[in-house]
Amino acid sequence: MSTSSLDSLSAAPRTTATVGSAGSVILRRVAGSVFVLWAAVTLTFFVLRLTPGDPVTAILGGAGSSPSPETVAAVRAEYGLDQPVLVQYFSYLGNLVTGDFGVSYIFKVPVVEIIGPQILPTLQLAGLAMVFAWAIALAFTLLTVGRGRVLDGVGRAVEVFSASLPQFWVGIMLAVVFAVILGWFPVAGNDGFKSLVLPALSLAIPLAGFIAQVTRSSFDDALAQPFVLSARARGLSDTAVRITHALRHAILPGLTLSAWAVGSLVSSAVVAEIIFARPGLGRSLVDAIVNRDLPITLAVVFITAAVYILVNLAVDLLYRVVDPRTNPKGSAA
Amino acid sequence: MTTASPSTPRSLALLAAAAGLLLTTSGCGGSAAASEDDTFVFATGKDISCLDPHVDGDMPQASIAANYLDSLVSQDSEGAIHPWLATDWSVSDDGLTYTFTVRDDVWFTDGTKLTAEAVKANLDHMVDPDTQSGTAGGYLKPYTSTEVVDDTTAVVTLNRPYAAFLEVLAQPFLGIESPEALKRPRAENCNAPVGSGPYKIVDYVPQSKVSLVRNEDYNSAPPYAKHQGPAHIEKIEWRIVPEDSTRYGLLRAGQVDALDLMPSVHFDEAEADPNVELILQDRPGNPTNLILNTTRAPFDDLNVRKAFLRSAYVDAGINSVYFGTVTRAGGPLSSTTGFYSPDFEHVYDPDPDEAARLLDEAGWTERDDEGYRVKDGKRLTVHFPYTPDWWPTAHQALVTQIQATAKKAGFEVLIENGDGASVSELGNNFEYDLRADYWNTNTADVLRIVFSSEYTESAGFVPNGSGFRNPELDGILNDALATDDPEVRKDLYYQAQQIVSDNALQLPLYNQASQVALRRDRFTSLALEPSLSLPYLYDVTVVDSE
Repeated sequence: MSTSSLDSLSAAPRTTATVGSAGSVILRRVAGSVFVLWAAVTLTFFVLRLTPGDPVTAILGGAGSSPSPETVAAVRAEYGLDQPVLVQYFSYLGNLVTGDFGVSYIFKVPVVEIIGPQILPTLQLAGLAMVFAWAIALAFTLLTVGRGRVLDGVGRAVEVFSASLPQFWVGIMLAVVFAVILGWFPVAGNDGFKSLVLPALSLAIPLAGFIAQVTRSSFDDALAQPFVLSARARGLSDTAVRITHALRHAILPGLTLSAWAVGSLVSSAVVAEIIFARPGLGRSLVDAIVNRDLPITLAVVFITAAVYILVNLAVDLLYRVVDPRTNPKGSAA
Repeated sequence: MTTASPSTPRSLALLAAAAGLLLTTSGCGGSAAASEDDTFVFATGKDISCLDPHVDGDMPQASIAANYLDSLVSQDSEGAIHPWLATDWSVSDDGLTYTFTVRDDVWFTDGTKLTAEAVKANLDHMVDPDTQSGTAGGYLKPYTSTEVVDDTTAVVTLNRPYAAFLEVLAQPFLGIESPEALKRPRAENCNAPVGSGPYKIVDYVPQSKVSLVRNEDYNSAPPYAKHQGPAHIEKIEWRIVPEDSTRYGLLRAGQVDALDLMPSVHFDEAEADPNVELILQDRPGNPTNLILNTTRAPFDDLNVRKAFLRSAYVDAGINSVYFGTVTRAGGPLSSTTGFYSPDFEHVYDPDPDEAARLLDEAGWTERDDEGYRVKDGKRLTVHFPYTPDWWPTAHQALVTQIQATAKKAGFEVLIENGDGASVSELGNNFEYDLRADYWNTNTADVLRIVFSSEYTESAGFVPNGSGFRNPELDGILNDALATDDPEVRKDLYYQAQQIVSDNALQLPLYNQASQVALRRDRFTSLALEPSLSLPYLYDVTVVDSE
């Protein structure tokens, strides 16, 4: 157990909150966001376009098909693949500004029709995984931190163990035990809350390990603070001290981690999406990359970048609620 | 920090509220109820792109097409052609003109009547460059035009004799769609193609599922069907479940009634399960193989090619990674293809001594420190660009095993993993020594596609990956298209198989197969249609629980 001294009182809180009033923060964030979106799309576009390989054969059914030269020429013309890369790039950007993501090479329909229905399932999955991860991590830290060396050691070991579990393995194990053998949940699919539990858990368990590790060390710090001592001196029970005093202090770094985690959950959701046969952005992205379906790839990159931006913004504002010190006016937002 | 207000868990409440918001939209409906009697749930292992099989042309499209499209003609398991939507046809003496008579009493599910005009609209659609057809359009390269003589008579003109024409017409890839529906934009037709088959498509959620309902007016079942009239099962849910263990888990848990691409690791378990019936059938065509590029060293040397074939322990590999769930292929045609001859199955069985002798003869006499053969200071290296995502896991293990056994003979096989586009670009420019291939089709004319000179060039995918150009073989394969006499074709295709085998152009691995598992405690009579061995749900009936 850490025994950090008084000087951590004067140190700045461990957050990444942006300094300034909420209004100016949002304004600066918007400008930055546009830049980030542009950079993400541009980088992806050129990486995909400049890697060797011709998407046309993938478009036309891959190996085992033998299109006529006219068909190949028609495909190149339709998707502008016969144009110089820069022309393709600017026309893509131009369309993007008007909200047009183009037409999928593989599905032959507008990207929005393919990606649109995938957004909500992925957000639901990532959202529930986040809730599960926090619930597991908090329950775990509240129960094991500062309960003596043995329990603390066990806690750390379990955290490292779960953080290092591969999501696909967790997913398959959960499916085998709880769906195939016990039959409590559907094995796969996308029919309501019940079908969401196992996929979300498969993503949440490894993530909970990470969050718990971070939360544990700051919880440790918090429990060593004078205000905890004074609270105890006032006769508060251990549980009350933990929940009402130390917890608020301890979750800040975890919150920072969550901003990163939500974004990465959107892209790592692919594992759960494939194992549990759910529609979703991650699966679309992987399929699109393998098949060189540039319009879908770019759209998913765009959406993922947007999610990162929004979540970071949300966390920034959330800091002000949890920890008023990050607000220069000193009042809770 | 001075305060610790009682509202501390507010942030938690916020998180929970956010999650609640996300979830309310999904509702808390029951799980995918174990299928009811009127719905058959089929889990397919590979994503479907556009549902219209004229567009692109990949197997998942044909699989579902076999259940909502009828074809002009049908093929039996012996390869013979029978009537279907066309009741009768005749071929001109020069083999260039086909006159079809179509049925007068068939309607598409959008209410359009089947006429000769529909035949024309479909064939024109398949060859139209804007359709982006790789498979159907590819098979119709000899197609020139269709003339509509009257409501039921269509005359198709070809630019060369093409005896395989009727055979390819029997494939679901060339299924007949409503001409009215084909007039819609491609995006619309991709999502909801319209046929005259036993089921019609009502909904498609890409990467998730296709919903079909019975065509109540169905009256055009093919000769291979077991009954006539509407199908027995009212609804089909065609779910896309790419992960092998999940697909099999769904079947075990009773949440789907059948699946395709049965995972080989679960075969023993499925065979022992009294509730599961395995339905297996090899597909006709050119078996799964590694094709050898003859246009550059080292495989421009026949002896080196033969040595490579002799070095590969394919049987052992198949038994260890496929657990005997696929059948070994040895010749250029799979055993279910018309005019297949078994004489070429064991020509290149593994023989390390013979491989060593052939390499010595070819001048690869020395070995370097790592045991690889060397000639003129150059190592015997074989480049093998490969896209793992395009192949089953077992195939990836198999090529690794072949790499290991080839090493013993002195070949350094470099498996160079890449994404589909990069690998196919190398493949189309003959920048490889080995290429992983197969070609499913219901005609021995596949030999022309995979081995003739004309297919060494293509604007898209180059089917003849060996780069082999042999005028004698080209002549034989063209002669086989110019006659419809089965005896003559049999003789010609035998000669063609002989030439291909003698030249050691491919290392055949195993036959492509349809591997379907069915919950036999619930349903029966799931068949595989004969042209490409695709799952055919028309005859499926509920098992009486009493």
